[in-house]
Amino acid sequence: MSTQIDIAGLEGARAIVLHPAHDRLQILLRQLRAIGLEAETAWPKLPASAITADFILYDTDAGHDAQFPWASGQSPMPMIALVGSEAPGRIEWASKTGADALLVKPLAASGVFASLLMARQSFERRKALLAEIGALRDRVSARQTIVQAVSLLAKKTGSEETAYDDLRQLAMAWKMTMEDAAVQIVKHSETTGANRGIC
Amino acid sequence: MSKTFDLGVLYSRSGTYQLLSEALFTGAMSAIESVNANHDLPVSFNPIVRDPAGELTNYAPMCAEILSSSNAKHVVGCVTSSSRKEVIPELDRAQATLWYNVPYEGFETSARVVYSHAATNQNILPLLGWATRHFGMSVYLVGSNYIWGWETCRVMRTRLEAADGSVLGERYLPLGDTSVESLIEDIEKSRPKFILNSLVGASSYAFIKAYAELGQRDPYFASDNCPLLSCNLTEAELPVLGNAAEGLISVGPSFRKNPTSNGEGSSLERTAFQSVLTLAEALAHGASGPFDSYLAQHGARYGIDPATQHKSLDVHIAQVRNSAFKILHSWSDIAPDPYLTRPSRHPKFSDPMLKVVQA
Repeated sequence: MSTQIDIAGLEGARAIVLHPAHDRLQILLRQLRAIGLEAETAWPKLPASAITADFILYDTDAGHDAQFPWASGQSPMPMIALVGSEAPGRIEWASKTGADALLVKPLAASGVFASLLMARQSFERRKALLAEIGALRDRVSARQTIVQAVSLLAKKTGSEETAYDDLRQLAMAWKMTMEDAAVQIVKHSETTGANRGIC
Repeated sequence: MSKTFDLGVLYSRSGTYQLLSEALFTGAMSAIESVNANHDLPVSFNPIVRDPAGELTNYAPMCAEILSSSNAKHVVGCVTSSSRKEVIPELDRAQATLWYNVPYEGFETSARVVYSHAATNQNILPLLGWATRHFGMSVYLVGSNYIWGWETCRVMRTRLEAADGSVLGERYLPLGDTSVESLIEDIEKSRPKFILNSLVGASSYAFIKAYAELGQRDPYFASDNCPLLSCNLTEAELPVLGNAAEGLISVGPSFRKNPTSNGEGSSLERTAFQSVLTLAEALAHGASGPFDSYLAQHGARYGIDPATQHKSLDVHIAQVRNSAFKILHSWSDIAPDPYLTRPSRHPKFSDPMLKVVQA
């Protein structure tokens, strides 16, 4: 991932400000538009179109979980908390909802650009980490499947030593990866209690 | 019947960037004169003049004093970005507006400021694009040690590095510092293709003179091979530079065809002049209440982008030849993009950047 903060791409980005009506909201909207974003407000419900927004800025004073159509901390876009009360419970909620940056109220123009860049950077980092964790999990679980498949094959042929080689031969014959071949063997043995016609 | 408005004028008449503020002051005051002499305009101005004398800490109290001791809701003033940032809280308190008439580094859109001179995509970007096409992809960055120097150099660095160019050195001098010897030595060693000079005032003059001498010692540093580039050099500073100005390259919204010996008619002077005229027109048009609300509705008729309160401007690259700026490349009517988020507003080039050829 690039370490340099990328400014381009904010033009035309869609921001939804989830905040109750307030005089100072206009200052925030003006600043978002000055930076080049399309900004709209919503309260108390997010519109269905929020799912494709590029940024969500949300009030942590009156906000609650039910306002978001995704699981807490699983937003598909960067989230910026608009923090008034610094009561620990509210900060905890901001953090749990997955705030990637925060702006302290009263709402103002200053800090908006910085928080957009910070939020996007930290969201991208979070996404990249989650993707990497997912890929590693898949690989770990594939390894377990291979071990299972090898021991199934060993039972059949009576040789632990050649079972791994057998699995490789099968994968080649079936034109798939060893991981996928292992999945096939384990599945087959689970449904029929037998190996897929190899002997 | 003419209505008289108090108008703050906040320029430093002494100090290291005096030549710039003098040009701005002249522009503002002659515009006030011309508005007051124009009986077709139902508006006249009563200037409330304060002189911060180049001291950063004077700006906020003097701005506050203008706003509290008179009915002024508008101030023309400030040269450095630091001084502009100093007065914004005072303007906020009084819901007043600053007309800022100097090129600056962007990344700001205060509702209390009209940014009339060039911002990021109207100065640094076109200058960089032009220089890399004519001289090459390696630069040495020099600046005064405050926001203007840091940000112009940062934008150059990130843009150039993103295009596989290189920054061979980056040095900052305190405002007013004129000891440039070690800087010149470092440049002599690093041999860049061009140099960005974001120094201001006395530091800049000392550096430009020393660099001109270097160019005479070593033809590599002659202006046709390795020029000095600036985003803030105007006619106002040519008299003090004399022959050392030959070959300097600058970017700006306007340059004079026939310069005068005292540096009149720079884009600074013209911008300050135009800002006061624009304000007079807006007041004649009935602007009242918060000026940002007025601009949000009517800004476009004055060429002011309502979203950013920056102006659409022509952009010229020019070089000093025989004591006058000669325009080398122009774009007209470039809309402002102070945050560099709108690539569609960036000046376009028809030819690609020069690539470094490795031996």
